[in-house]
Amino acid sequence: MEKPFQSQLEDIKEADILVGIPSYNNLQTIGHVVGAVMAGLAKYFPNVKAILVNSDGGSTDGTQDEVKKVQIEDFKTVLISYPVHPIHKIITPYHGIPGKGSAFRTIFEAARSLNAKACAVVDSDLRSITPEWMELLLRPIYEEGFDYVAPLYGRHKFDGTITNSIVYPLTRALYGKRIRQPIGGDFGFSGKLAKFYLTNDVWETDVARFGIDIWMTTLAIAEGFKVCQVYLGAKIHDAKDPGSDLGPMFTQVVSSVFGLMREYETLWKGIGESQPVPTFGFHYEVGLEPISVNLERMIGNFRLGVKDLMEIWEKVLSSETAKWLESLGRSSDKAFFFPQDLWVRIIYDFAVAYHHGSVHREHLLRSMIPLYLGRVASFVKENMDSSAIEVEEKIESLCRVFEEMKPYLIGRWRIGGE
Amino acid sequence: MGEVWKVAVTDSLNKFLGKVITFLPNLLAMITILIIGFLIAWMFKKILYRFLRAIQFDRVSERWGLTHILSKGGVAYSPAYLLSRFFYWVIVLITLILGVNALEVAATQNLIAQFFNYLPHLFAAIVILVIGYLIAIFAGQATLIAAVNAQMESARLLSRAVRWFIIILSLTMALYHLGIAEKVVVAAFSITFGGIVLALAIAFGWGGRELAKDFLEKLSKGRDERDKGQDHISHL
Repeated sequence: MEKPFQSQLEDIKEADILVGIPSYNNLQTIGHVVGAVMAGLAKYFPNVKAILVNSDGGSTDGTQDEVKKVQIEDFKTVLISYPVHPIHKIITPYHGIPGKGSAFRTIFEAARSLNAKACAVVDSDLRSITPEWMELLLRPIYEEGFDYVAPLYGRHKFDGTITNSIVYPLTRALYGKRIRQPIGGDFGFSGKLAKFYLTNDVWETDVARFGIDIWMTTLAIAEGFKVCQVYLGAKIHDAKDPGSDLGPMFTQVVSSVFGLMREYETLWKGIGESQPVPTFGFHYEVGLEPISVNLERMIGNFRLGVKDLMEIWEKVLSSETAKWLESLGRSSDKAFFFPQDLWVRIIYDFAVAYHHGSVHREHLLRSMIPLYLGRVASFVKENMDSSAIEVEEKIESLCRVFEEMKPYLIGRWRIGGE
Repeated sequence: MGEVWKVAVTDSLNKFLGKVITFLPNLLAMITILIIGFLIAWMFKKILYRFLRAIQFDRVSERWGLTHILSKGGVAYSPAYLLSRFFYWVIVLITLILGVNALEVAATQNLIAQFFNYLPHLFAAIVILVIGYLIAIFAGQATLIAAVNAQMESARLLSRAVRWFIIILSLTMALYHLGIAEKVVVAAFSITFGGIVLALAIAFGWGGRELAKDFLEKLSKGRDERDKGQDHISHL
């Protein structure tokens, strides 16, 4: 922990609630996020000592100055009463390897140091956060005795494709809890859970980067903490070039999921059908911005993978699956269809290969990207005219296939995919 | 006359016996060295093979593509078996050299000294070749995956170019280390590498300027088109 940060925490001594905001060059949105957090704390927890920690990755666009600028006086219109305690703000650079997970580690350390009872983390690129998010994320921890609150959002039907096609169905099939947004990015958690997170030495792995979200969710479930989810409304965040970020984002998240499968092998092998978790919040439909999808490019990338990466995939997949992919690669754009059971088989085969190390792990995960794009393209094609509810039903059906094919995973896991 | 003949015969016999007596311990030493050496080689082979099996060396070799290369070359044995055999023969070779050296025959001793001086170079060259090969496989695979993800049609060609460049570089380094036609090897490598770069520069800048122009235009147009058709999916 940095010395100035430590001395700031020592001055504050204790806090009941801590809200962490990791950031890196988020000048456009951070003011709104900090404002919503401060208004939410003042409105819903006026008698509670709260602290806001901005864990910054060395922003150069004035993000930190923007955080300093936001004051509680700006929110007179939304506040019924003023907070008894002033809301402290700490802006600190995080230590460790650059990434979201390292930023979270600093937030966990602050929570431990201040002996916080309830904590929340929210993304700094959110445009749809409202003060109500603070109540929704913190109340189940602060008053209801929950340890972990996962978010539920209204999202565009084609948004969150790694979540919908891999992380949610796989986590649900493995650990038996239906947490719809396990890598949502905005979570509530107890001080006890923050302390537990810090006992794990994972800060040099992909968990210190984009793997942090799934790691937090999985540990909360697997270690028996009390888990729930809350409906937060729409999730709209700052527009970035998503294509440029896919590689590292994909490999870091998937490697964390596969790595956790190795750690909790005994647990997930014994879990059968999944169960719902307690869900809070008022569910309502939200209007969302349209999303443009380049199907031709995605299918093209898949075909290129079939042409050039088959020699790697053949080490991972069964010959039947490889033949299936080859015939899929030959189909026209119009006829392109990536079946659910083929996708589930591929995910399970790659998880087994990751476990046994039959291919260099970084190469293995990167070689998965064309397959993932193929599956996403097929999903988009199938649901072009479907409503959000119909799409949700399709995701539900994919989850059931993941659960039904779990014996296939267990069988392959034991024999090493041979 | 008879006395002289007798002395001559006795002297020769004595000298011969003397030489035999001097040579006998050396011979015994050689036999002992050979027996112990072969025994050590046999034991080392067994232990190494078991150790390699225990650390799943065959699986690692498969991952690195070594097994694939061996099977392509018609070698049916596992890498663990081959490596343990290799070290067996290295120890046998050293044992034979030590055994011959124990005979203390002047003619062979010079040869052995030269061999021992050369041995470190030989090992270094083997190490360079093995490491070079492994790096070539790794870098080739990494290039292939990165190029496919970047949607390059010539991904396989690029991957092969990277792989062969590293293999040729390590081969050049190994030959240089062995002292085999050092100047020729370095000159050949420099000429080949320089030639490729020059050929590319000329082809791109002069000979194929129209082609280069078309290529750059397509690249620029393609980028614009790609930017226009960019996905706005949030993957997480």
